[in-house]
Amino acid sequence: MLKISNLTKRFGGIIAVNDVSFKIEKGEIVGLIGPNGAGKTTLINLISGFYSPDNGKIEFNGQDITKKRMNERAKLGIARTFQNPRVISNMTAHMNVLYAILGSEYGKGMTMTEAGAEAIYYLDLFGLLKKRDVLAGDLAIYELRLLELARALALKPKLLLIDEAMAGLNPVEAEAVSKLINRIRSEFDLTIMWIEHVLKVLMRSAERVLVMHYGRLIADGKPEDVVRRPEVVEAYIGEEEV
Amino acid sequence: MAKIEPRRGRIIIHLLGRKYEWTVEPRYWRNPIFGLIIWLALPLLLYLTATTVFHYQPIALMSTLIFANLLIMMAVPFNLQTIGTGRLSFGPHFFLAVGGYTAALLSRDLGLSPALTLPAAFFVGALIALAISPITIISRGVYYVLITLLLPFILGEITYWRSDIFGAETGIPNVELLFPTTGNVTLDVVIFVYVSLAIALIFLFFVDRTLRSRYGLMMGVINEDEDVALSYGINVRQIKIITFTLTSGAMAVCGWFLAHYQGSFSGPVWLMPSFLIMVLLTATLAGKGAIYGVVVSAYIVATLREVTRVSFGELSVVILFLILLALLYTLREGFWGLYRKRRYREYEPSIRVRRKS
Repeated sequence: MLKISNLTKRFGGIIAVNDVSFKIEKGEIVGLIGPNGAGKTTLINLISGFYSPDNGKIEFNGQDITKKRMNERAKLGIARTFQNPRVISNMTAHMNVLYAILGSEYGKGMTMTEAGAEAIYYLDLFGLLKKRDVLAGDLAIYELRLLELARALALKPKLLLIDEAMAGLNPVEAEAVSKLINRIRSEFDLTIMWIEHVLKVLMRSAERVLVMHYGRLIADGKPEDVVRRPEVVEAYIGEEEV
Repeated sequence: MAKIEPRRGRIIIHLLGRKYEWTVEPRYWRNPIFGLIIWLALPLLLYLTATTVFHYQPIALMSTLIFANLLIMMAVPFNLQTIGTGRLSFGPHFFLAVGGYTAALLSRDLGLSPALTLPAAFFVGALIALAISPITIISRGVYYVLITLLLPFILGEITYWRSDIFGAETGIPNVELLFPTTGNVTLDVVIFVYVSLAIALIFLFFVDRTLRSRYGLMMGVINEDEDVALSYGINVRQIKIITFTLTSGAMAVCGWFLAHYQGSFSGPVWLMPSFLIMVLLTATLAGKGAIYGVVVSAYIVATLREVTRVSFGELSVVILFLILLALLYTLREGFWGLYRKRRYREYEPSIRVRRKS
């Protein structure tokens, strides 16, 4: 589904993503880990079209999307969440999802009522129905993460890029979000690429884990194998008990 | 026959088998018909009262109404431009001057009628806006403000440099009036009030329709967060360029009106920062994104301007801006905010989305 070849992104003298290549098959949940500054978010930004690469190629469903803009990639079915939840804070939770639906390609033919009902469905799926009339700016961080996921899912993506969905959440909330992500993957036939710092949760959910360090991809494999590799332990995993 | 059924807080009227409901409390008013009737009747009522009861020719009063309508004509597309581009421009009066000069030059030098100078003013304004529209994509914050602020200054200097064409402060005289004079100066001015009011209404109608459409919704998202808009699949660049181009063309129409209302057009008068401040204050005092609030704020700003001009002479500008500062400080949500329900659901605009056939 997604094929990344020799992807490089520089910011001045810093190489944030350095000659990264990998593939993601349809239906996979792929975790992306690495220490701070490893280039994980930059990689997500490159795939979603937020940044343009200096080198390399991005293919999505066999189509070269390297030169495509973020909105064009969204239309092809790539949705994302942000590291710091970016919702429209002076709109209600319902309106946030509703605007996503009506703004999206598939929402073009929808009436307000249809889109409203669809938005309610996604809010309910993420347990936010009771918060539908609350301004997004007044939601707790856990609810904001769920709202971002609901909004991204409402775009009916094929590939969902999740950037640290658990940051700022307590273990119970993190577990709940993890279960929801697993559920939507199977229910919506999604492919997911997921950056996470809460390794315990990611190791349980992901079928494959990519490890980045200083912009380079240093490991790619099953979670239980990857965490045992010496270069990964040295770069990142050694800091935390898995 | 009509059957009127008063209820607590609302009135229900049964007429010809249909039911019309009107909420009495002003802050719940949603029917624009009443406001529209008052707005349309006001100039005529003032004119008739002044001429028949007080026996004086209310030219200054009518000119104030024209100025208020001009502020609406400027502030309404300005508001839409701000929403659709997510940028606050400091150069709306540049496009007014472009439209004014286009109409005046075509009328004086080529003898074109106002009906022909109108599309010309719109297209020249829109074309220049299209040429500079990339600024809405590549610049933001103080850079965007400076770029848009420099445009009227540059045009102002050009009018002095090529005074043989633009006439500097004197401007371009002998511009054909919008309609042949009736012989009664006050009546002519009243007709101009209604022409300006009609243009303001047309602008309000189009902007209202746009904001309630799917494009308006996209503009709202762009205004809040461009990256989120992109992640929805919205073509942010396209919407910004279209919005900037069309709203600037609308502002150029204001210049066209001025040229054919005054019979001349002098750019430096309208390129002054004081006029820009009036437009910005009208838009700001209306309330964020409140298109109909602009009507209220424009009439208040124009009235205060006239009252302070008559009462305070040289100090009028100082007093006017002090009053407006006080209003800005006290009305954080603008005049429209006074009529808004303070409930969460109130923030949900009503959007009409039509299914594609």
